[in-house]
Amino acid sequence: MSNSINTEASTDTQTNSGQTIETDSLSTETTAGESDERIREAWRQYDFDGNAKLSVEDLNVWYGDDHALKDVSMEIPKKSVTALIGPSGCGKSTYLRCLNRMNDRIKAARIDGSVELEGTEIYDPNANLVELRKRIGMVFQSPNPFPKSIRENISYGPRKHGDINKGLLARLFGRDDTAKEGELVEHSLKQAALWDEVSDRLDDNALGLSGGQQQRLCIARCLAVDPEVILMDEPASALDPIATSKIEDLVEELSKEYTVVIVTHNMQQAARISDQTAVFLTGGELVEYDDTDKIFESPESQRVEDYITGKFG
Amino acid sequence: MSNAYATTDQLVSAESNIYDRGLDTAIALSVVGFMLGFVTLVNLVPPGASGSTLTTAFGTLLAVVVGAVGITSLASYANVVPVTSQRVRGVGLGLVVSTLALTAFATALPVTMATLLGIMLLAEALAITAAGVSSRLELVDAEPNMSAGLLSGGALGVIGLVMGAAVGGALTGFGSRLWLGGAAVAGVGLFLLTILPREDLGSTLPTAIVVGALGLTIVTGTIGVGWQWNPQTLSGGFTGGAVIPVFLLSGMLLSAWSAAKCRAGFGARGREYGAFLVINLNAFLMVAVMATIVVFVTVKGAGYAVHGLTVGALTALVLLTPALLVAVKFARTPAGTNDWNSGARQLFRVLPLAAVGALAAMFASVLVTGSPLRYVYDYTVQVNRQGKTLDTAVAVTPDTTIGTLLLTALAMVLAVAFFRSFGSLRKVGVQSERARLIRRAVPTVVLVFVMLSTLFLVLGPAPFGLPLGGTLGFAAVVGGAVAASGLVVYPLAGVLTSDEPTLADSAQREAPLFTLGVFGGLGLLLATLLLQPVAGINPQVGPVNLVPVIALGAAVASLALVALTTVAKRSSEETITRRVLAEERRLGLVGAAGFTALLGLHVAVTSTSFTVLGVSVANKGSISWPMVMEAYIPLGAEPGGIMPAIIGTVWLVIGATLFAVPLGVGAAVFLTEYAEQGRFTAVVETATNALWSTPSIVFGLFGAAFLIPRLGGDESLLTGMLVLGFMLLPLVLITSRESIKAVPDEYRDASAALGVTQWETIKSVVLPAAMPGVITGVILGVGRIAGETAPLILVLGSTLNAKAGVNVIDGFQFVSEPPFIVNDALMTASASLPTQVWAVIAAGVSGSPQMGWATAFILLMVVLTFYAVGIMARTYFRRKLNYE
Repeated sequence: MSNSINTEASTDTQTNSGQTIETDSLSTETTAGESDERIREAWRQYDFDGNAKLSVEDLNVWYGDDHALKDVSMEIPKKSVTALIGPSGCGKSTYLRCLNRMNDRIKAARIDGSVELEGTEIYDPNANLVELRKRIGMVFQSPNPFPKSIRENISYGPRKHGDINKGLLARLFGRDDTAKEGELVEHSLKQAALWDEVSDRLDDNALGLSGGQQQRLCIARCLAVDPEVILMDEPASALDPIATSKIEDLVEELSKEYTVVIVTHNMQQAARISDQTAVFLTGGELVEYDDTDKIFESPESQRVEDYITGKFG
Repeated sequence: MSNAYATTDQLVSAESNIYDRGLDTAIALSVVGFMLGFVTLVNLVPPGASGSTLTTAFGTLLAVVVGAVGITSLASYANVVPVTSQRVRGVGLGLVVSTLALTAFATALPVTMATLLGIMLLAEALAITAAGVSSRLELVDAEPNMSAGLLSGGALGVIGLVMGAAVGGALTGFGSRLWLGGAAVAGVGLFLLTILPREDLGSTLPTAIVVGALGLTIVTGTIGVGWQWNPQTLSGGFTGGAVIPVFLLSGMLLSAWSAAKCRAGFGARGREYGAFLVINLNAFLMVAVMATIVVFVTVKGAGYAVHGLTVGALTALVLLTPALLVAVKFARTPAGTNDWNSGARQLFRVLPLAAVGALAAMFASVLVTGSPLRYVYDYTVQVNRQGKTLDTAVAVTPDTTIGTLLLTALAMVLAVAFFRSFGSLRKVGVQSERARLIRRAVPTVVLVFVMLSTLFLVLGPAPFGLPLGGTLGFAAVVGGAVAASGLVVYPLAGVLTSDEPTLADSAQREAPLFTLGVFGGLGLLLATLLLQPVAGINPQVGPVNLVPVIALGAAVASLALVALTTVAKRSSEETITRRVLAEERRLGLVGAAGFTALLGLHVAVTSTSFTVLGVSVANKGSISWPMVMEAYIPLGAEPGGIMPAIIGTVWLVIGATLFAVPLGVGAAVFLTEYAEQGRFTAVVETATNALWSTPSIVFGLFGAAFLIPRLGGDESLLTGMLVLGFMLLPLVLITSRESIKAVPDEYRDASAALGVTQWETIKSVVLPAAMPGVITGVILGVGRIAGETAPLILVLGSTLNAKAGVNVIDGFQFVSEPPFIVNDALMTASASLPTQVWAVIAAGVSGSPQMGWATAFILLMVVLTFYAVGIMARTYFRRKLNYE
């Protein structure tokens, strides 16, 4: 694995170095571009009841020399839907991928800052990536089921984690979990609202499903490892309106049990399904983060208002 | 120009006139000529043939052409494959007309093949000239360009140079250097003649001159059949037999191009058609080269290869089963929606089925009537360097010794049925308490049996010199066999003694026991069979051999199960009950097939035959094919066969593949998934490519000088495997790398997001998705190494008269000191097909050329079989990946 993460990132030094950069960016970099507006710290403060599931502090990401994400700090509340919106290339997907360390897979990426999952630093050099990604699942932009049967797609994660044992040895030692697998497959598919459509063809290849079904299968696959947080990277962008509305209903349903963070280009979608919304604008900065109603009705920032009403770029 | 463009009727209506039909015929004649060029080149019909040989040859050609065109036009007429193109229709007609004319010519006039070929070339030249001139005189509609273009000019100029040189040299002698002048004049002349006039003349006249000149030299006999030219600077020479076909091939290619241009009216469309035809002939050349090799080898070797082939009718039927399955599958594929089409297509789909059915009926008739089918023929071979006529025959006999073949087929059916209907043992005995107990016991018992077998395999039947092992083994075998029979009979007894009101109810209630009885019994008996040979036990109780009797009894019990459920199914009316019982009936059939297969396995491992109801199950099947089933008999009257060489080649390929595939795929995984793209991967890549380009003889020398001294000091099978493995390695690495790279990154991301580690991802997602590509590499590589001769001569030797094939499996022995496992068979030299061909044909070691050709034929078949196996594996994995 690439070793590009700043491994000395203890929380203290983080804050220090982070602050320096923050001052820099506030004084010099923010104003570059379309607006003279200065981002105020208060816009990004969002107060909510209860504990934060994820707390991000001073997160910076560089792809080579490109500073893709600048000093992002935000707290994501438990069992809610957080929408990340903003124009293309504003860093919201990069931000999302930082939350379960998927950016580790990009060799050129350098990440600096702190992300805590219920108080545990996930960028700790000794962090258990397997455990982290089991707790924070991810659904991608385009549906990406494995070229395997529907059943195998769902049980893939639990099998690889040793939660389900199948095969010759398991059978010989009487530890065959086929029944357990069946229950898990059924439960996950029902959670993803796909069970009724595929229950009679669980052994068919998943690539034979329609795009919307594939995406719900990917959600079910993610649910099967029993995560706490689900990250969704524009999960409905490749789908037609009917499939999209199904996914939206699903997200609302899921937020009762899980913490959902969703990236979307679709403003109406964000308004419909999310509890709070974070707006990223060009340059990888978090501009405003608040209740969804607040953001869509009376945003503090002029740029955010322009973006939401469609006047932006 | 604009005028021509505007005439829409030219674009849509394609009424053929004499000009078009004539040119279609000319094109067809070129195609026929091209084919005849091949026919004469491989000496299927020699250029000097005349009289009855010639008429027979042309009769056959006419039959082939008329048959092919006839079927196609019939299909077109029946609207199965509608042929709407005027040009295709014209060429088809032209094919028939020109073949007919040639046949008439050959029958009526006392000409030789060569003369006829020359006349064909002249006719082409005339046709092209006429077309070009009539186009220039504006007699026909055409859109010629200003010039034929520099490319055509250059090509014809080069041809002119060569021809000028040849003619000039022939007239003045090559000593005088005057031929240089001839070459220059002809080259420049043809070049100018091509580019200067308008396109219609420029692309016809020079071609006609070249083709006509080629034709004239043949017709006038300047270059005849007996012609020979041995230049002093060359050690070899040119003969008429080789030059005439080459003249024909090149001349026909040229005239086809030219005639196609004329036919499409020159211009852009003309060039399109011309290029299309030339490219098509190129592709045809590809097929033709392969077909030529296969046909040539088959013609030379097949006759000898099948000497003494005898097959029992029943065995033949079994051998036919796969073909039957394929034909049925083909015929069952839906034939589309259009009624007319589907009817006719269905006819075509059932044709293979009909053919297989006819063959099967023939074999079955032999079986019923009891009189064999024999085709007797003579074959002259060299036995101990003396010509000897071999009376030999291909025969189908009414033999009822089924042998292990039939049983293998049953075992296949068992495996397929098991996986299709059950998938696994998961649901066996969930309801019944007794069943649960047995279910837990069966795998454990089987495991114990397998471990016991391994123990016996290592320590031998009498460990530490005590007869303890034998006694223990005997007890285990007898116990296992009895338990197996008990398991099978148990559910039957359960049904019969049950107090349920109806048979259907009790059969349904005992359903879990059915499954358990069948699969448990099969497992136990299989384990017993494994134990039996390694412990050297034959549990003969009185005159009765216990294991086969139990297998047979279990098969009968399974059939009783089938009968019972059938009766119950008939009497019950509920759909669900009927469905459950149908399931159980299938289970019973699976059991019957399985136990019969185990009976066959018993016969195979213990080499004792077994007769029941007049059908004997023997270790040797009723198929006799001396060439592939016997070893060479040095001084015998019957020359025998090449079985040791076949076995040697198969082992070489298996060994090399086992060595190279894991290494190559492993390296490819490391390079694509783990290693950073950088200097190291570049070095590995260069090394791989260099390894692939290394000449095979170098591999052989390396093996002989480096490996042999370190591996026993003598030529050996193991060294052969390793050297071939080295040769296979780079190709496997390269193709695996490419196919792993082609696996979408989305799969890796998805897997990583689920918290799955990289190695698990590679193992369960990346490699399965890359499998078809990896297999393609292995197929290509195996095809290459299976016929590799040079390195094998050095490291394997060229054993010719091996008495028996290497026995690698039996060769494994466990020893009490390092390396703990030895294999003498791997350390001895072996025969192999390529080295045998080399020794017999090239080196002239004892044996006859016929035998060499037959060996080559079988080598070809072996390689093609490996190829077919590879393609099937690839198709399997592709199907698994796609949602078909």
